[in-house]
Amino acid sequence: MTATLNSKQSLARRKARGASRKGLWRTVIVVSVGLFINLPLLNAVVTSFKTDADIASSPFSFDRGFTLDHYIAVFGGSGYDFTKFLPNSAFTAVGTVALVMLIAVPASYAIVRLGFGGSMLMNLITSLRLVPAMFFAIPFFLMLSAFGLYDSIAALVLANTFLNLPLAMLMICSAVRDVPIEVEEAAVIDGASVYRTLGSIVLPLLAPGLVAVGILVFLFTWSDYLFTVILSSSQATPVTVGAAFFVTSAGIAWGNVSAVVVVSLVIPLSFAIFAQRYLVRGLSAGAVK
Amino acid sequence: MSSPLFVTGTKGARWILSAPLLAFLVVLVVYPIVTGVQTALLDRTLLNPEPEFVGADNFGRVLGDDGFWNALRFTAIYTIVVTAIELALGFLLALVFDRAFPGKKWLLSVIILPVMIAPALMGIMFRLILNQDIGLVPAIFRSMGQNVSLFSSDSIIPVLVILDLLQWTPFTFLLFYSALQSVPEELYEAAALDRARYPRVISSIVIPLLLPTIFIAGFLRAIDAFRTFDTIYVLTGGGPGNSTTTLSIYIYKILSGGDFGTASAAAAIVAIVMLPLVPIVVRRLNGDVIAKNKKMKR
Repeated sequence: MTATLNSKQSLARRKARGASRKGLWRTVIVVSVGLFINLPLLNAVVTSFKTDADIASSPFSFDRGFTLDHYIAVFGGSGYDFTKFLPNSAFTAVGTVALVMLIAVPASYAIVRLGFGGSMLMNLITSLRLVPAMFFAIPFFLMLSAFGLYDSIAALVLANTFLNLPLAMLMICSAVRDVPIEVEEAAVIDGASVYRTLGSIVLPLLAPGLVAVGILVFLFTWSDYLFTVILSSSQATPVTVGAAFFVTSAGIAWGNVSAVVVVSLVIPLSFAIFAQRYLVRGLSAGAVK
Repeated sequence: MSSPLFVTGTKGARWILSAPLLAFLVVLVVYPIVTGVQTALLDRTLLNPEPEFVGADNFGRVLGDDGFWNALRFTAIYTIVVTAIELALGFLLALVFDRAFPGKKWLLSVIILPVMIAPALMGIMFRLILNQDIGLVPAIFRSMGQNVSLFSSDSIIPVLVILDLLQWTPFTFLLFYSALQSVPEELYEAAALDRARYPRVISSIVIPLLLPTIFIAGFLRAIDAFRTFDTIYVLTGGGPGNSTTTLSIYIYKILSGGDFGTASAAAAIVAIVMLPLVPIVVRRLNGDVIAKNKKMKR
């Protein structure tokens, strides 16, 4: 993907033939669009560093300067459980990534290379992506409550694994397919078993694809709200639901809320910046042939 | 079906490797579907631990409720409007991105940033920026001498549409941008030799080639827009009145009232409405994987 992107870019560059000024209008458009769509985020970042007096007086006011008070308030307790929400989000996301991998990697290999389940199984799994999540949320709630898992990280991990499995299976199946079969044939001729071939030969070759899947699953789990709000009440609450608590209460402390949102976004947004090429590959998986 | 790769001993391995998936599907897909349908047929509520079979009563209650039809209408219109605009804007933005320009690599990150933001957190940031007293947007309107009330019933729906565009146009853009990378350079060169103008190149070469992507992007966005919950719920709670209640919010409200039976029935109705679309989309999404898989098994 990166290779094709690069070669395309260099081709395009050659085609531009020194017409760099011609490209500049594209920069202007894209910068304006980028500013516009990220305005809510920029606004929240700015607000989180403003004093309460400045926030109350006007959105343009920054008279009393820069302050870290809101971040101190958020982490310093002061009635908020935010310090608990953040690890909850992290454990849920990491647990979901682990469970998704555990299920999807061996199964994808069985489906693609060992012909397990044929196209029917993959169709079934893909169709889960299309069923309204709300339909599953109610049985999940009843079932997990019955097992005493309501409001636990385990419940959120199971629900998010359900949500992310279709995309993960699609992406991993196509990654397994892209592993050159000759390499596997060589391993088999040398007498390697199925498990040995998967573990020592295929898995290392899948690594970049699995990183892409892992990042996406992590992000989507971090972002989930619907299942989380239904399956948790206080103990397992992650940042998405926790941050909304701050808003629904009366007399919103906007400075603190902004700080909460900014802190909650630091991890996902660093992914967006540092793992961009994986994200591009992951988000367009299955949609682009 | 024998595998081309392993001559013997794969029958067991297939099942062992798929065991975690199968176990998960049984426990978290099959069982919940059964429970969901079952609950829809019972008068189960939070306060009623021993529910009885009530047949289609719950379905009747949902279908007889104006709130359901209003939610369905709002969700359908919202879905069509945002999907159409996001496809158009995402495509235009992808065309802008399809040539080299200064800062391209860095700006790609900036553009796809909103997709990475949890919709619920986005909803909170929207509330901040739209806040009547301290928000940036009302302040800009005031400085232009306009006094608007963004959360009133007249303006809230366009506001919600614009907010959806802000977050999800980058998604359709990304799909189109990736697809444009695979348009062979030779086609552009051939078109240039034929002295085809740019709009003609787009309409006769690029759009036909991108049709599968347009289809998939449209469906993915439509499905997600149709089940919109987080952003609107955090922003308006479905109000004012019920004017912005999506189907998901409608079901959630019944559910938080503790009426599991009716909520399940409503969810089942929504699932049934979506059902005819499933095979179409599945074939598109999976076509690639399965086609090559078959070739593999020759």
